[in-house]
Amino acid sequence: MTTNPHIRADRLNVYYGREQALKNISIGIPANRITAIIGPSGCGKSTLLKSFNRLLETNEQVTISGSVSVDGENIYGQGVEVTAVRKKMGLLSQRPYPLPMSIYDNVAFGPRLYGIKKKQALDELVERHLKQSSLWQEVHHRLNDPASSLSIGQQQRLCLARGLAVEPEIILGDEPTSALDPASSQRIEQRFLELKNDYTIIIVTHILRQARRLADYIIFLYMGEVIEAGPAREIFEHPKEKMTREYINGTIS
Amino acid sequence: MNKRILEETVMRTLMKLSTLLILSVLVIILITILVKGLPALDLAMITQSPKGGFYLGKEGGILNAIIGSLYLAGGSTLIAVCLGLPIVLYLNIFARPCSRLVRFIRFSLDVLWGIPSIVYGAFGFTLMLFLGLRASLLGGIIAVTFLILPIMCRTMDEVIRMVPRELLHASYALGATRFETAFTVVVRQALPGIMTAVLLSLGRGIGDAASVLFTAGFTDHIPDSLLRPAATLPLVIFFQLSTPFPEVQNRAYASALVLTVIILAICLTSRALTGRYTKHTIK
Amino acid sequence: MNRLRTVRDTIASRGMALITVASGGVLFLIILGLFLKSRPILASGSFFGLMASSNWHPLKGEFGFLPFIAGTLWTTGTALIIAVPPCILTAIYLSEYASKRMRQAAAPFIDLLAGLPSVIYGIWGVLAVVPLIKNHIAPACGVSSSGYSILAGGIVLAIMIVPVIIHVIHEVLRTIPVELREASLALGASKWQTVRQVVLRKALPGVIAAVVLGLSRAFGETMAVLMVAGNVARVPGSIFDPAYPLPALIANNYGEMLSVPLYDSALMLASLVLLIIVVIFNIFSRLILKTVERRVC
Repeated sequence: MTTNPHIRADRLNVYYGREQALKNISIGIPANRITAIIGPSGCGKSTLLKSFNRLLETNEQVTISGSVSVDGENIYGQGVEVTAVRKKMGLLSQRPYPLPMSIYDNVAFGPRLYGIKKKQALDELVERHLKQSSLWQEVHHRLNDPASSLSIGQQQRLCLARGLAVEPEIILGDEPTSALDPASSQRIEQRFLELKNDYTIIIVTHILRQARRLADYIIFLYMGEVIEAGPAREIFEHPKEKMTREYINGTIS
Repeated sequence: MNKRILEETVMRTLMKLSTLLILSVLVIILITILVKGLPALDLAMITQSPKGGFYLGKEGGILNAIIGSLYLAGGSTLIAVCLGLPIVLYLNIFARPCSRLVRFIRFSLDVLWGIPSIVYGAFGFTLMLFLGLRASLLGGIIAVTFLILPIMCRTMDEVIRMVPRELLHASYALGATRFETAFTVVVRQALPGIMTAVLLSLGRGIGDAASVLFTAGFTDHIPDSLLRPAATLPLVIFFQLSTPFPEVQNRAYASALVLTVIILAICLTSRALTGRYTKHTIK
Repeated sequence: MNRLRTVRDTIASRGMALITVASGGVLFLIILGLFLKSRPILASGSFFGLMASSNWHPLKGEFGFLPFIAGTLWTTGTALIIAVPPCILTAIYLSEYASKRMRQAAAPFIDLLAGLPSVIYGIWGVLAVVPLIKNHIAPACGVSSSGYSILAGGIVLAIMIVPVIIHVIHEVLRTIPVELREASLALGASKWQTVRQVVLRKALPGVIAAVVLGLSRAFGETMAVLMVAGNVARVPGSIFDPAYPLPALIANNYGEMLSVPLYDSALMLASLVLLIIVVIFNIFSRLILKTVERRVC
């Protein structure tokens, strides 16, 4: 583990109503690496991810205890502005959800919130981030078309561009390729590998091969508990826990 | 075995007949209004205000009532949107989902929807006495706003609660506040439904008579101020029909035709619009 | 910048909460307003005395509501008897038997039926229903009638409540799981047997709620009834008699009410009674529908 984790969860417990979804999670997420959260479905992967940008609390009846620190500051602390926390992180969800507006406005949505109004500055931002997510070539001639007219794969890249446009430090991906065709998935993965120099990337995935391809660091979650966490190579080649080994070998799923 | 098949056939026929009956009643009503109204309809009816003795069969038209109804329904629809949209957005975006408040407000809006318009009229009247208002366009607008607010809210509510949670999350994840999410993302996504709600309310406002009976008053002039009385189409029809003169009664039929055409136009627009404004909608 | 946005969000949230809570108070406001206005008449005689008396002589200060209550009950009852059977049959047909195309074709008709203003129904009643009763139905029954009668009011009201009842029953039938129907069909029941013994039985509370909603709609409907029911302040004896339902009373006398003492108060009391009855009906059926639809909120 790196000495100075970008995100650090400390004794994090999450309950949906009475049901405990995350049990006493204490982990660190290294900066400028791709971290993959793996584990069988329903083990709390998405919950953990959403606890990082405080999207959990928009759900009903969620109780959270413990702390999550980003850059050393507890995001669940008193007087923390939730929008400032979320601005630090871009989110890619399982299915792309473009906002109900044009391609251009999708990317410009975040910057506009933060007060950028000048057309020229916005144009420049939109172009840069669409290029960064390798969508520019396909859409530069129809930026005013509705975002819903794009293919699913393009929509996901648009969502990536939209997230990058608020200039986050961290990118969260909640099984970001699960709705995409193989070619589109590959493009997203490619982007992640390029982006990790500048961003801390955390993805949730249930595809082990994807974790192998991308991840530098692995967190294995089972029934709401961290079974094992560490550098990807160690986890895949020399897992310490029996359960990790069984999961990686496909005995449990 | 035979009895079962017989029963099935009989019931099926009965069902088809009653469906046919109900659908044909609408057609019969429309045809009756058209046949009776068309001969009495002329250009003067819809381009002139009543001249002296209009209700005795002299010259004039019902332009004052057409404009009055549009002002009245337009004004109250506008107010109802300005009140209803925040209510619905609050219920769906700001308030804790399924909280007691949310459930109570939905329920109370449902109950308010069921209250007869004459009661809104009577209440509007007491409210006007309290405020020291006379029967006027403003009074009518207040009463009709009360009448259409629940319709507006519940119709929009049904659409806005269909907005996927993930779409809200996408907006929150960009650092948008609930306010920004509500008024940019949610409103755009639900735009077709909001338009339907507005048109539905507008149609209700134009067509309702009982709520404006006490509150809007009646006049032969096109209202030029909120504090002046305003004539409305339904009341013009009612008053014309109440006169003993056949030629004035004929005008009532023509006015009814005008009202029906307006309502039909609103209904059709609303149907046509459901397909539109979905350009940006995310499925 | 960020601070400003959060502040704006907080202010908006508070403001919207205020409007929302206020909208929840409207019902109480209406009841209170009408109650305050009807206090003078309630002070002049007991509530049940007023409701049970049939002496309606405003100029003499006698306000007996019985003729109007009876008129409302008669017209509403007639409307229900006419409307309910075809409504149930049509709703079943549209949701269980009809093809999707048929359903989609019928929807605008029902919508439009719901959207037509009551004055239009009234004028149609005057043009078509009243003469029909006067010239054909009443003579066939061996009575003479002007046509302006309970029957005319009932027929017009019946048509007006059709969309409400069909719509609600349709919604209720939609909540019944397909598996239930399949289970019955798999046991060899015919379609109608399935509908009658499984679907309708399960949907019965919802159907009752739909009828009650229709009933409360008919109760408060004003202009159309006012135009065709005849408006004679006497307790009616048959469906060919004229009637003077409560809403018609309120609507017809707003002009004179301020010049006769207690008259306005009496009309406000009538509105209050109407309101309370309708609200009770509505609460009743909405509660049933809530449990039927089993929506979380």
